[in-house]
Amino acid sequence: MTQTNGSPSVEVRDATKLYQQGTLEVAALRGLSLTIRPGEFTAICGPSGSGKTTLLNLIGALDAPSSGSIALGGQELGSLGRRALSRLRRDRIGFVFQAYNLIPVLSAYENAEIVLRLQGVEERERRERVLGVLADVGLEGLQDRRPDQLSGGQQQRVAIARAIASNPAVVLADEPTANVDSETADRLLEIMEKLNRERGETFLFSTHDPRVMERARRVIRIVDGRVEDDTASG
Amino acid sequence: MDVFKLAWRNVWRNRRRTLVTIAAMTFALFVMILYSSLLQGYLRDMERNIVDLEVGDIQIFAGDYRENPSLYTRIEDPEALLEPLAQAGFPASARLLGFGLAAADEASAGASFRGIDIERDARVSRIHEEIAEGRWLDPADPRGVVLGKRLARTLAVKVGDELLVLSQGADGSMAYDLYEVRGTLRSMSAAVDRTGVFMTEESFRELMVVPAGAHQIIVRRPVGLSLPAAALKVSGVASTLDVRTWKQLMPTLASMLESARAAILAIFLIVYIAIAILILNAMLMAVFERVREFGVLKALGASPLEVLVLILLESAIQAGIAIACGLALSLPALYYFSTEGFNIASLAGVTVMGVAMNPIWRGVVSPETFTGPVGLLVLIVAVAVLFPAFKAALIRPVEAMRHQ
Repeated sequence: MTQTNGSPSVEVRDATKLYQQGTLEVAALRGLSLTIRPGEFTAICGPSGSGKTTLLNLIGALDAPSSGSIALGGQELGSLGRRALSRLRRDRIGFVFQAYNLIPVLSAYENAEIVLRLQGVEERERRERVLGVLADVGLEGLQDRRPDQLSGGQQQRVAIARAIASNPAVVLADEPTANVDSETADRLLEIMEKLNRERGETFLFSTHDPRVMERARRVIRIVDGRVEDDTASG
Repeated sequence: MDVFKLAWRNVWRNRRRTLVTIAAMTFALFVMILYSSLLQGYLRDMERNIVDLEVGDIQIFAGDYRENPSLYTRIEDPEALLEPLAQAGFPASARLLGFGLAAADEASAGASFRGIDIERDARVSRIHEEIAEGRWLDPADPRGVVLGKRLARTLAVKVGDELLVLSQGADGSMAYDLYEVRGTLRSMSAAVDRTGVFMTEESFRELMVVPAGAHQIIVRRPVGLSLPAAALKVSGVASTLDVRTWKQLMPTLASMLESARAAILAIFLIVYIAIAILILNAMLMAVFERVREFGVLKALGASPLEVLVLILLESAIQAGIAIACGLALSLPALYYFSTEGFNIASLAGVTVMGVAMNPIWRGVVSPETFTGPVGLLVLIVAVAVLFPAFKAALIRPVEAMRHQ
């Protein structure tokens, strides 16, 4: 559910992530700390290899830090087992991937409802919520189409609908505009801004896209696995 | 997630591969059902030929007759056994056995003479139905004898010809007499084919001067009673005599039949292991193609168990379709092979371990015809799919989503 208490949506404390590349140990994050408050619309930017995707993976409980800690809505991820992490991803995080990552055999509607099904939400409520979010992302009438019958932008809108259908604490969007044209990118950003504004969804992007950075109300710049700049606007 | 719907759609994503996998499973199941049916039929006929035609389920002998067959080693009062056995539900008939020479014109051959109580023997043996030419014994024709197939050929006699029988009577006298060939038997067993001369009990007693007693009692067991249990009961009735089951009398043949049953299982395993490799390959391909997708599912919150169930269900759907197709294909084939059978008349006279093969080889249709092949297919599919299923279930989402 969307975070409503006083806890930050995301709290990263002194996170380090080391990868082994052959005999070399490479640090993707080096003692990075940041806090994301509920309702923020934040972009994380930085050059390739700066650690943006690694940071999102750690926040999304897809990976674990080598040291430091991550908390989601006050819940420390390091203390959770594999099943609890699955439940946490299901119930508290929405993912939007660069490559959409829709399930090709499911329709737009079925893709958008998949998290609700995993949560065991009953059918009537599921239908109401899924049709609602599909309408929010401008996909009315396209719910029966499968991913291969949708354009890239439409697929990314389904991915956004899937991410927000369960009202997660935070939506993590990894380069959401990287694979679409500029017009579609603007439209996707408008949709996400509107969802943030009207529904209070917390969005955290990793991006290279200046349009995303322009629209974000907070931009965190990461270089070499450390926060180099953290600027809030308006 | 509606797991069945997702699994069903996944199954048909690569239609050609799915169809090849299902076809392979269907074909294996079809072949195994037919093989099982025909081999069971072969074993059943073999056992019937042993038990129904000649040996019976159980035989009773006096003393050491089996080790040292002698005209003098007899069950003194067979009637005292036949009556209580009949009351206990065991049809039984006494036979007289002797050895000598049979001759016709210039030819002669060693012969084993068998004196038959025609009425009682019909309850324990189907030998009277195995007449190739002529007719079976008749009490009204005490001079009529029935010969084994090869003996008739050796002596070059046919129905209506005279047969000279020579032996030594129980009183030490020369036993000889002229008989008429009433009939010849179909091929049954090596022993009967080559030496068998069947005559009425009265004719035997007169020829061999055996006024009383019998050398052998053939016993059949009631339907549903196991052979060991039947042997135990018969031993209770004939406690002082030598009681033997057909398996004890023909241990090599009994062992061969048991081995043949084990061979069914071995062939199942060989064929199904080949199928398992195909399924394993197909499922591994299906899993590796979708590594990224499983990563997404897990990132979205699907548990390892949900992913495992999805993969198992995909295999179950394919196996289910294969089982339905295999059964649908095998039913008409089974009907044909169990009613019409294979005509193997060209092998007529061929014996296996001394027991003749039937000219028509028919299959058997029983629950085991299906349960064995289907059960083993399900087991093999389950084993083959476990590795890819666990691989998908335990995949780390962050690694899976990097997979191209």
